[in-house]
Amino acid sequence: MSRHPLCIPHEHSFSRRQFLGGVGASAAAAAAMGTFGGLVQPAVAEDLKKREKQVIFIWLDGGMSQLESWDPKPHTEFGGPFRAIPTSVPDIKVCELLRHTAKQMHHIAVVRSACTQDNSHSAGVARIQRGDPKNRGVDYPFFGGAVAKLLGPCPGGLPPYMWVKPGSGGFIHQDGGFLGAKYGSLALGDGKPPESLLLPPSITATEDTLRNDFRSKLNARYAAKHRKANSEANSYVYDVARELSRRSDLFDETKVSDRDRDRYGRHDLGRHMLLGRRLLESGVRFVKVNSYGWDSHGDNFNASQSLIGKFDQSFAALLEDLSERGMLDHTLVIALSEFGRTPRINSHVGRDHWPEAWSIAMAGCGIKRGIAVGATSERGDVVATEPYDIGHFFHTWFRALGIDPGLEEYDNHGQPLPIAHDGMGPIKDVLA
Amino acid sequence: MTIRTIWVGCAAVFLAASTQLQAASLHEEIDRLIAAKAGMTPLAPACDDATFLRRAYFDFAGRVPRLEETQKFLADAAPDKRTKLIDELLAGPEYPRRMEELFHVVFMERRGDNPEWSKFLRASFEANKPWDQLTREIIHPVADDANKRGAAFFHTRRLEKSGQETTDYPGLTRDIGRLFMGVDLQCAQCHDHLFISDYKQIDFQGLLTVFANTSIKGGDFPAIAEKPAATKLEFASVFKDVKQTTGPRIPFGTEFDVPPATGSAVALVAAALPAPDNRLFVQNAVNRLWFVMMGRGIIHPLDLQHADNPPSHPELLALLSREFVAQKFDIKWLLRELALSATYARSTEVASGEPPPVELFAIGIERRLSAEQLLRSMLIATGDPAETKDETKLVAALTALRPKALKAFANPPKEPEDAYNTTVQEALTLLNDEAFQKLFEVKAASLTERLAKIEDPNQLAEELYLTILVRRPTEEERAEVGKFLTQFVAEAAGKQKVDAVRYLAWALVASTEFSINH
Repeated sequence: MSRHPLCIPHEHSFSRRQFLGGVGASAAAAAAMGTFGGLVQPAVAEDLKKREKQVIFIWLDGGMSQLESWDPKPHTEFGGPFRAIPTSVPDIKVCELLRHTAKQMHHIAVVRSACTQDNSHSAGVARIQRGDPKNRGVDYPFFGGAVAKLLGPCPGGLPPYMWVKPGSGGFIHQDGGFLGAKYGSLALGDGKPPESLLLPPSITATEDTLRNDFRSKLNARYAAKHRKANSEANSYVYDVARELSRRSDLFDETKVSDRDRDRYGRHDLGRHMLLGRRLLESGVRFVKVNSYGWDSHGDNFNASQSLIGKFDQSFAALLEDLSERGMLDHTLVIALSEFGRTPRINSHVGRDHWPEAWSIAMAGCGIKRGIAVGATSERGDVVATEPYDIGHFFHTWFRALGIDPGLEEYDNHGQPLPIAHDGMGPIKDVLA
Repeated sequence: MTIRTIWVGCAAVFLAASTQLQAASLHEEIDRLIAAKAGMTPLAPACDDATFLRRAYFDFAGRVPRLEETQKFLADAAPDKRTKLIDELLAGPEYPRRMEELFHVVFMERRGDNPEWSKFLRASFEANKPWDQLTREIIHPVADDANKRGAAFFHTRRLEKSGQETTDYPGLTRDIGRLFMGVDLQCAQCHDHLFISDYKQIDFQGLLTVFANTSIKGGDFPAIAEKPAATKLEFASVFKDVKQTTGPRIPFGTEFDVPPATGSAVALVAAALPAPDNRLFVQNAVNRLWFVMMGRGIIHPLDLQHADNPPSHPELLALLSREFVAQKFDIKWLLRELALSATYARSTEVASGEPPPVELFAIGIERRLSAEQLLRSMLIATGDPAETKDETKLVAALTALRPKALKAFANPPKEPEDAYNTTVQEALTLLNDEAFQKLFEVKAASLTERLAKIEDPNQLAEELYLTILVRRPTEEERAEVGKFLTQFVAEAAGKQKVDAVRYLAWALVASTEFSINH
C-alpha cells in the first residue's frame, strides 16, 4: 500500500473499544512479569522516583482569564479590579487570586505568549488536547493517549491514562484517537471507580485468589497452544482489573487526612486534584484532572474569584506535595484551558473567548523552575514576544518527558505520522 | 489495474463462468486453492470433534452446545456426522435468530436496537432471503410490508441528530459504501483519495447526492422520506478549487439521469448496486460471509477493496463470487459450503514455533464471540437445562443481563466488531458483578447444583469441562480439579465443596478459552 501522510489507510480497523486490550508489548510484558506483585505502593513509589516520568494535566474546560491569573495588568484599560501580587520568585507577579500558588512560583514556568487559534468550545477542546497537528484526516490522540502510547504504563499494573472528572466516568476510548482505544482513558466520574470495581462481599480474598489461580492455569494451557495476542490481551485486562480492585483504597476518600482535604479544598476540583496526586503516587503514568464551567461571559470577576480561587488552592497544594515528596523531578505538571479570555470587558461584565494572547503554566520534570516566558502587550490584547501555538507546547512537553518529536513518530498501520506539529518546535526557554 | 478497467470486463466474466462447478464441489475447490497458496507451509489438521461441534454451534445457533448435544455428537460413530451436524443446524430453528444477531451487529454496529428491524432481519433469514434482495430492501426500505419496513432502521438510526450536530449524511453514505460494496470512501468525501487511486471524490459525492435527500419520516415504525432530486450536486476538492457536479450514482458506476421530480434516486441505487454485474457488491458479500466463518477476509480489512489491497486468494474470491451469483445469492448455501470445507474445520492450535501468516488460512483463526453469543452461552452452560430450554424464560434472563453484557462484551457504537477485543470492563464484570456471580449459584438443577452432587472428582471434572468448555478435561486438568476441591475446602474458611464447584465453573467461564471461538 502506498504511503501518504495526509490521509489514513483504514482508521476503522482500530477498534476503539479495545481499552487496554490489544496489549502493546510493553504493557503485556509488565503485566506478565508481575514485577511488583501486591507490593504496589512502596516498591512502585521508589521505582517511579528513580526513572518513571509521569504527567498530571489539569484541564480547565473553557477558558481561564489570564488577566485574573498568570498575566495580571492592573491599572490598565482592561485590567479589571484585582491586584498583582509578588511571588516566591522576584520579578514575577501574578494576580492576587493566585495567592497560594504565588508561594509555589519557584517551581513554575509560565508562558504568557500562548497564541492559539480556535475560539469555539467544540473545536477548542480537541484542538488543544491533540496539540493541533496538521489536518491529516485522522483524529490525533489527546495528550494523555499520546503519552500512554509513547511511554507505556508505569510498573504496578494500573492503566497508563486515568482521567478524574466531574459527572460520569467510563472508558473514554475517543481520547486514544487513531492510536486505538487502548490509549483512551479510564475516567473516574466524580472520582468514583469504574463499575463492578469491588469484589462482592460474598467472595473472600482467599476465594478470589483461588479462583483466579485456577483461571490462570487454564489460560496458560490455552495460551501455550495458540497464537499469542488474544491470550495476552485477556490476561492483561484481568491483571489491570484486579489491580484496580486491589487499589480500591484510591477511591476511598476516608483514607485521606482531614488536613489534606482542607489544603486541597473540599470542592470538586480540590477533591479531584487530591485524587490526581494519589493516582500519581500509585503509579499512573498520565492523570488528567478536569474542571468544568470556565466560561465567564458574564460576571467574570465574581466567577473568577470563585473558580480561580478553587484552582489556586488545589494547584498550590499539589505542587507543594509533589515537591515535598520528591516527585516533581519526574512529574510534569501542566495547567491550561481551551483558550484565554478577552481583555475587553463586555457589557455583561464578562470576558469572552480569547485564543490570541493567553498563558499556560507548567512545572516539574524537564521544565525550568521559577520563570515567566514571553509577554503580552501593555493592554494584554496581543502577544508582544514570539507567539507560541499549542503545537509548540506539545513539542516542549514531549521533550521535557525525554521524547524527541524529531525522532519518534507514530506508525498508523504503515502511515508514518509525526507526534507533534511538524511545522513547530519546542519553547526552548522553558526547557531545563 | 484499477476498479474501472476491471469493471468493463466483469459482466462478461460473470456470464461466462456462471455455470455450476462441474468436477468438484465448491468446498473442495476452496480447499484446493487454499492448499495451493500455502505451498510448503504445512496445513493444520482438522480440529477434534468437540471443537468442531462448538464452532458449528456458535456459528449457526449462536451458543455453546448443551451437555447432551455434546455427548450425543461425541458418541456418534457415523463418518459423516459433521456434515449432518451442519445440515441440522442450518435447518434448525436457531439459525435465523443467530443470523439476526450477527447481521444486526454487522449492519448497525451497536447503534441501538429496534423491534421492527429485528423482525425484518429474522424474517429475512427465516426465508433465507438472497443477499441481493436483503441489500435492496435495506437500501430502499418499503413502508407497506410489516415484515420489511423495519429495514428503514438502518437509515433512521443514522439520520438521527445527536446534539447540535447536523444530520450525518456523509456517515450514512460511507456506511452504504462500506457495508454493501466493501469500500470505505470516507477520505474521498473531501478529495480524491490520496493513496487509494481507485477512490474518487465523485464516487462518494454521487452516493451522497442520493442519501442527502432522505430524512426520517415520523411514525410508529422506522421509515424514511425522500425529496426528489431536481438538480445535480456541486462539489470541489479541498485541495484544488475546481468545481465538479454529479447526479446520483453508485460508486464506480455511471451517473443516473437526475430523476424527474416524482422519481426516486434511492430506488435507482437499490436497483443498480445489489446487482450481479457489480463486482464489488458481490465480492463484498462473499468476503463478509467468508470472514464470518474463517475469521479473516480474503480482502482484509473488509471495507478496503481496491487495487493496492489485493485479495490474499484472488482465484478463490473470483470463484466464490461466481458461484454465489450462480446460486442467486443464496446465503445458506454459501455458508454450508464454507462449513463443509477443510479450511473451516482446521485446528487453531499452533504446532510449534511461529504460526504461519494469518492470511494463508493454513491454521484456523480464533474468532471473536459477540456479546449475544457469550451471554446466551453463559446462561445455557450454567443454568438449569429445563429453564434454558424454555425460550420465554431464556429470553427474559437474556434481556435482564443484556445491558451489562453490552457494556462488558460489545464495542462502543459505530465500531465494527471485526476482531477479538477484550476490555477491563469485561474483566471487572466477570470478576465482580453480582448478577454474573449469580449464574454460578447453587439452585435447582443449575450446573453447580448438579456438579456438587457428583462424588467422583474425575466425573465432576468431565461434566464441568464438557458443559462449559465443550471438551473433555486432560489428565492434568482432572487432577487439577481434584486438587482444587481439596485445597479449597482446606483454605477457604467455612466453605464447602459446593462453593469450590462454583468457583471452578466461574474460572472456566472467565477463561480465555471460553471467550473465543477457536
